[in-house]
Amino acid sequence: MVADTDDALFAVRAAEGDEDAFAVLVQRHAPALLRLATSLLGTAAEAEDAVQDAFLSAWRRLPEFQGRSAFGTWMYRIVTNRCLNVLRSRRPVASLEAADDVPAAEHTTSPARIAEGRDAVRELREALDLLSAEQRACWVLRELDGRSYEFIADAVGISQEAVRARVFRARRSLTQALGAWR
Amino acid sequence: MTDRTDRTDPPNNASAQADDELLPCGRLLSRTWDDWERQTDDPHLRSCPHCRQAVHGLDDLESVVRGLQAETDTSASAYDTEPLTRRIMDVVRLELRPGRPLPLGEPAEDLWIMEAVAARALRAAAETVPGVRAGSCRLLYGGDDGGDGRDDAGTVEVRLDIHAPADAPLPDLAAQVRERVWEAADRELGMGVTAVDIRVTDLVSTPMSDDDDDDDDQEGGTA
Repeated sequence: MVADTDDALFAVRAAEGDEDAFAVLVQRHAPALLRLATSLLGTAAEAEDAVQDAFLSAWRRLPEFQGRSAFGTWMYRIVTNRCLNVLRSRRPVASLEAADDVPAAEHTTSPARIAEGRDAVRELREALDLLSAEQRACWVLRELDGRSYEFIADAVGISQEAVRARVFRARRSLTQALGAWR
Repeated sequence: MTDRTDRTDPPNNASAQADDELLPCGRLLSRTWDDWERQTDDPHLRSCPHCRQAVHGLDDLESVVRGLQAETDTSASAYDTEPLTRRIMDVVRLELRPGRPLPLGEPAEDLWIMEAVAARALRAAAETVPGVRAGSCRLLYGGDDGGDGRDDAGTVEVRLDIHAPADAPLPDLAAQVRERVWEAADRELGMGVTAVDIRVTDLVSTPMSDDDDDDDDQEGGTA
């Protein structure tokens, strides 16, 4: 609450051209946004680029921001959209269909590895790479970031129904992909 | 023309149902998972082996997700955001939005200051009043219409938004802020200010920690 009020003050100052105020906002929000981008994209290097681009875009758009939402929520939306664009450009559309058809048998895992949680995590990372950009984004925001469907719909810019459908499909793909080590 | 068979994401729920699965007990997988997510207390869920198996898959996924979260947390807490912050601010400083130039001193002096720089100094002055936080600071320049109006050329009107401490009497507080802003404009900047309009946009309850600090200082003297 106090932090939000504080953010609003710094956002107004930054909108009026005070770069020091903007630096405070960057310091305050970069860690959480970087974590979000890393979850969405999977690699720290890409996440850094996405967060940097998002903040620069925010600096340019701040004069029109007018504080309609909390600065943190606004940034969350910008980073999410930036990451979605990165994910979309990552692979051709044709492979989306293939993602659903990946046979679980491909993820063959020896019983000795089953006990290794880290291997399971690695398999989950690989399985995430097979999801479509929208499925991945919706699933990550829901499952890793614990956001409500309403929040995700707003951040991604689609309906709640569409978010639910994407999370469902993502869960199907992921449970199938991880099925081999179960 | 668009005779493609490969589908992308479903635009609506109908397509999602095509991807759904009817469990042998007659329930849709999507419903069972939905109930699981909402932690619905349904006797069927507890007794039906098919639903329990379907939910078991999600539980397994959940446990791996916790592992992924733990890994992300570990690397995130070790990550130093300072270099990233510096890189961002390096670019920001190449794209400054300094606002308009405003006149300083006498009209003949031809001395100017950028609006954003002056606003920063005036906000800082306002914040020397305890508990006051400064937000928007607009500087309206009356001398834009040419060189004739010599009297009001070089004079500026300040419009300042502040957050005030909830327990302070506002008229006194506003007078104090006005005085500090006026002083700073006059002495630090040499800017002719005709008015300082103050708008209180929020009342903030004073955090206890400030009082604690004061107490600590006082206690420091007792030995």
